[in-house]
Amino acid sequence: MTSNPLPANSSRLGGCTLTGAISVTSHLRDTVTVVHGPKGCSHHNVSLLHASWLDNDHAVLPSLLSTGLSEKEVIFGGEDALRKAIGSAAGQEGVRAVVVLSTCVVGTIGDDVSAVCLEDYGVPVVSIPSAGFLGGTFQDGMNNALIALAGTAEPCQKERCVNIIGEMNLEFEVEENYREVERLISLLHLPVNLRFVHNLGWEQIARLGRAELNIMRSPALVPVGEYLKNRLGTPYIASFPHGLSGTLSFIREVAALCSIDGQEALREECLRQEEMLGQFSDLRQVQVSLDRLHSGEDELLAAEELAAALDLVMGTPGTCARLPVSAAVGTAGTKRMLHRWRRAAHA
Amino acid sequence: MPECDNPLWPCAMTGAAACLAGFDGIAVVIHGSSGCYYYPTTLLHAPLHGTFILEDDVIFGSEDRLQEVIGSLSGTGKRIAVITTCVPALLGEDIRSMLDEHDVILVDSPGFAGDIETGYAKAISILEPRIDPGTPGVNIDGACLFDPFAAGNIQETRRLLGMASVPVATVFSSDVLDRVYHAAPYTIGTNGDFPSGVGETLGGILGLTGVRETFTRLGDAIDGADCDPVFAELEQQEERLVRACDKFLQRYDPPSTAIFAGSSYALFAAEALHTYLDAEICCIGTRNVPGESRFRTEQVSSLSRVRELIATHDPDLVIGSSFERSLSQEKAFTGIIPPLRGRVRIYPAPLAGINGTLSFMESVLNSCMDKKP
Repeated sequence: MTSNPLPANSSRLGGCTLTGAISVTSHLRDTVTVVHGPKGCSHHNVSLLHASWLDNDHAVLPSLLSTGLSEKEVIFGGEDALRKAIGSAAGQEGVRAVVVLSTCVVGTIGDDVSAVCLEDYGVPVVSIPSAGFLGGTFQDGMNNALIALAGTAEPCQKERCVNIIGEMNLEFEVEENYREVERLISLLHLPVNLRFVHNLGWEQIARLGRAELNIMRSPALVPVGEYLKNRLGTPYIASFPHGLSGTLSFIREVAALCSIDGQEALREECLRQEEMLGQFSDLRQVQVSLDRLHSGEDELLAAEELAAALDLVMGTPGTCARLPVSAAVGTAGTKRMLHRWRRAAHA
Repeated sequence: MPECDNPLWPCAMTGAAACLAGFDGIAVVIHGSSGCYYYPTTLLHAPLHGTFILEDDVIFGSEDRLQEVIGSLSGTGKRIAVITTCVPALLGEDIRSMLDEHDVILVDSPGFAGDIETGYAKAISILEPRIDPGTPGVNIDGACLFDPFAAGNIQETRRLLGMASVPVATVFSSDVLDRVYHAAPYTIGTNGDFPSGVGETLGGILGLTGVRETFTRLGDAIDGADCDPVFAELEQQEERLVRACDKFLQRYDPPSTAIFAGSSYALFAAEALHTYLDAEICCIGTRNVPGESRFRTEQVSSLSRVRELIATHDPDLVIGSSFERSLSQEKAFTGIIPPLRGRVRIYPAPLAGINGTLSFMESVLNSCMDKKP
C-alpha cells in the first residue's frame, strides 16, 4: 500500500466547495441553509460542524435542511424537491432568509437552482454555487458564500470601526484568534463592527458597509476583499497578523488606512512583545530545528524571526528538538506557540 | 424521499467503505470528489484512497484519473476495491470495462442510493463470501468500522468463544480478505444492523438474554463446544448487575428513557433498561428501519424529530449520539452510536456480550446518578 493515500496532484486537495460554503452560512442566525442534494452530503457536514463546534464549547447544532435527493429525483430532476424545501424553510418561525447551496449531484443533473430561488417565498432566498468539485475548492465555497451574502448589503455612511471578514469557523482556535485581532485594533481605539460571518444575525449584514476597513482572515480571501472594496468602497488588509514584526506592521497598516496616529499603540505592543520574550529566556542558546514539513512559507519566516529574537541555535534536524510551527495570530498566538516550543525543547 | 433537516445518518457510499476498509488485503478507492473522500476517512480512521475528481474529469471522462490512481496502487499485493460516489454513478461511464485489465472489486454505491446499511450490505454481497465446510468455529458479524463499539464487540466475542472452546472463523468486516472465502458454516452477530448473511446464524449476543440463547444454540451446533463457563460467568455477572440496579432503585425512580440509535442497538438498550431498571421507554427513534419490538418505535432521520420527541416526552435519560446529547444538556445521557464527539474515547468498550451489557448499564447508572439532585 502506498503510505500516503492522497494524490500527488495537490490541485485536487482543495476540499469540498459545499463544506466551505456551509462553514460560512451555518454561522448565520435566523436563517436556514438548504442543501440541495442527497442526504449524505448534508450529514457529512452536520457531523463535521457538530464536531468542530463542540471543540469550541459551542453546543448549538447547525440548521441544515437537505432536499434529500434519491434516485427518483436524480432521474426526473430535483427542482420540485428544492422548491418544497425552500418553502418549508421559509415558513419556519423566526426565519428571516433562506440560503440555498448546491451539491455535485445537482451540478451534474443540471437543476436550474437560481431560477427556483428567484421565485417568491416571502423571505429573501440567496443561491450560492457550491457544487463540490464542479465549483472548485473549500476556499472557493467560502469565498462564494461571503460574496453572495455581501451582495445583499448596500453602501452606507462610514463609521469609525472595522469588519473582520472570513474567519475560519472550523478552526480550533477561532475565538482566540478573533480576540487577539480585536485586542490589537482596540489599541487604536477601533471597535469591531461585524464578524462577517461568525454568529451573525441576518439583519446585521446591512451594516457591512459602515466599516472604514475590512480585515481579512487570510490572503485567500483577497477576491472577497476586492468585491467589498468595489461594492462598498471599503479598503482591506489581506490577513490576520503573524509573527512579531508582522504584528507591528499590522498595527501600522490599520492605523494608516484609518488615518490614526498609531505610535502609542506600537510602543505598547513592542513592550508587550519584549516582556513575552523575557518570559521565555530559558530557551536562549538551546539547539533546535523547525518543523518545515508541515509549515507554510510565511509561518516559517515568522518562526525564524522569533527563534532569532529568542537567541535559539539552529541545529541539524534529527539531532535536536524539533519545534512545531503554526500560523500563530498576533502576539498572543505567538506566546501560545512558545509554550509548545518550551515543551518540545525540554522534552 | 422527503426533505430532511440535519440528516443524522451517513450515506451508502460510507457504508461500502466501512465494510471494505475493514478487510486487510483490500485497498479501497473512493471514486469521487475530495468531499466524498474526507468524510469516510475521518469517520472510519482507515487508510482510504481517492480519485479526487475535478470538473475536467466530469466533462472529459474520469477513466484516465481512475487508471492513474489504480496504477499507483498496483503492485502493493492488495486487491483494489473501487466505490463509486454520486457523480461517477450519474455520468454513466462504464467503469467495469475501464477496469477490465485489473482485478478490481467494483461497488456501485452512490450516496443517493440509500443509507449506510444499504452500502454495507452491497459491499458484502459483492465480495461474494464463501463457506468452507472445513473451517472450524463460528464467524462473527456486525463488526462495522463505523460503529465505535465494533472493536470492543470483537474482543468480547472472541473472549466468550474462547471460554466456550470455539475457534473464531471469519470476522465480518474486520479480518484478512482471504478469510472471507473460507468462512465457517455458522455465524453469531454483534450488531444486527450490519449482518453478513453468511452461513447459518445462531443469533446475536446483544444483551444477556441474547448471549444465553445464542450460546445455547452454539453448544448444540458446534462439536466440542463447552458453553458452561460462559453460562457460569453470565449468571455471576447478572447477579452483580441486578444488585447494582436494585441499589439504584432503592433511592431513585426508574428513569423514563428516550432512545435514539440503529434499530439493533436501540432495542438492546430498551430491553436492558426495562429488564434491570424497570425503566419506562417513552420513545425509540431508530436511524434505520425499525425491527420488531414490544416498544413503540419509529424511524427518525432528522434532528428536528429528535428534538420534538425529547420535548414531548421530557425523559430523565437520553440514549443516542452526541447530536442527542447536544439537545439534552440537563438530562442524563449515554452514548451508543456515532457521532460520539466531545468525549475522550480510547478504550475499546463493547456493547455486545456480557461485558457489553455491564458496560452499558454502568454508564447509564453513573450518568443517572450524576444528574440526580
